[in-house]
Amino acid sequence: MAQHDARIGKRYAQALFGTAQRYDVVQAVEADLDAIVGLMAKDKAFKDFLLAPYTSREEKVKIIERIFSDRVTALTMQVLRVMLEKRREGEIDAVYTEFVNLRRAATKTIHVAVSSAEALDDKQKKALIAKIEKTAGKKVEADFSVEPALIGGIKVAYENFVLDGSLKGGLARLRDSLKHDLLKQF
Amino acid sequence: MATENNSRKLTGGEIGVKTALMIFGLILIALGYFVYGESWTTPEMFAGLGLDLSKVIVNVGFFLLFIQVINIYFYTPLREAIEERNQELETTFSEAETLKTTMAQMRSDYERRLAQTEAEAREQIQAQIKEAQQLRQTLMAEAGEKADELVKKANQEIEAEKARVMGDLRLGVVNLTLAATEKLLGENVDSAKNRRLVEEFIDKIEVKA
Repeated sequence: MAQHDARIGKRYAQALFGTAQRYDVVQAVEADLDAIVGLMAKDKAFKDFLLAPYTSREEKVKIIERIFSDRVTALTMQVLRVMLEKRREGEIDAVYTEFVNLRRAATKTIHVAVSSAEALDDKQKKALIAKIEKTAGKKVEADFSVEPALIGGIKVAYENFVLDGSLKGGLARLRDSLKHDLLKQF
Repeated sequence: MATENNSRKLTGGEIGVKTALMIFGLILIALGYFVYGESWTTPEMFAGLGLDLSKVIVNVGFFLLFIQVINIYFYTPLREAIEERNQELETTFSEAETLKTTMAQMRSDYERRLAQTEAEAREQIQAQIKEAQQLRQTLMAEAGEKADELVKKANQEIEAEKARVMGDLRLGVVNLTLAATEKLLGENVDSAKNRRLVEEFIDKIEVKA
């Protein structure tokens, strides 16, 4: 089995994204990849089959075509076929991740991960996204999750930054500040 | 040896006088014998005394001879012995004096040397005492400095330990307080409060991409 190499996934993703842009099927290809990656994450048998070194390339291609040929775009299918033939099926995750990054860069979109102590309602979500889009000047893709350990408030993480408005974060900052003050006394 | 050297020798004049007296004595003895029985040897003037002049002459001759014999065989050796003895005594006294002088000199030398030695010893003792006192002062000073340093170090360690313990204590208090606060917040934050927190955060948030 070929070793995972981020550069390989990146090259496949760049080629795929360029072609998808040319044919204006970026969203469809991304949705296809999302579905395939999701299936790999959910279905262990499918993942084992896809990554099994003892299954022949032809057999993998035949089965993948049977499963996905009428469910994904031709471009996605073509990429899958090439990757299987080249024994690069282990890079599908990396290709998807890099494809999404390229798409976000191309559409000036930032991804934010929002954690909250309680589930946010739609109004709150929209207000949050609108505020972020307004201050960042970019489109926003947000993933929302519930994290009861935050006690209250929300936490927004994007790129390499974290904006922590949770009570847990506030207490942590207070603890750090007090520790800092204590250390300064010595 | 000293006796021989110091014995007085008779001079030629003395020997002559003695010899002459002895000869004169012998002559008088001989003369007395020759004139013994002569009538003039018994003059009338001495008849009352019973004296015979020839006997007187003989006795005078014997006396002179006897005196010289005594002088030669008794008095002279005795005198020489006495002189020798005196000489020995003088020599002895002289030697004693010399020895006494030598002894006094030696004693003086000894006392001088003793005094000198005592002075040197005293100086050395004083020097040693001074050195010992300086050493003592140096050691005392060093010991004092060391003790001060140890006390200072101990105080610093105590202060550091105290500060560390206080820090740990304060940190413990902070952790406990924050844990209690977290628990209280967890129990007291309801949906309404949470909503308010979210809204406040949304109002304040600024994302710089």
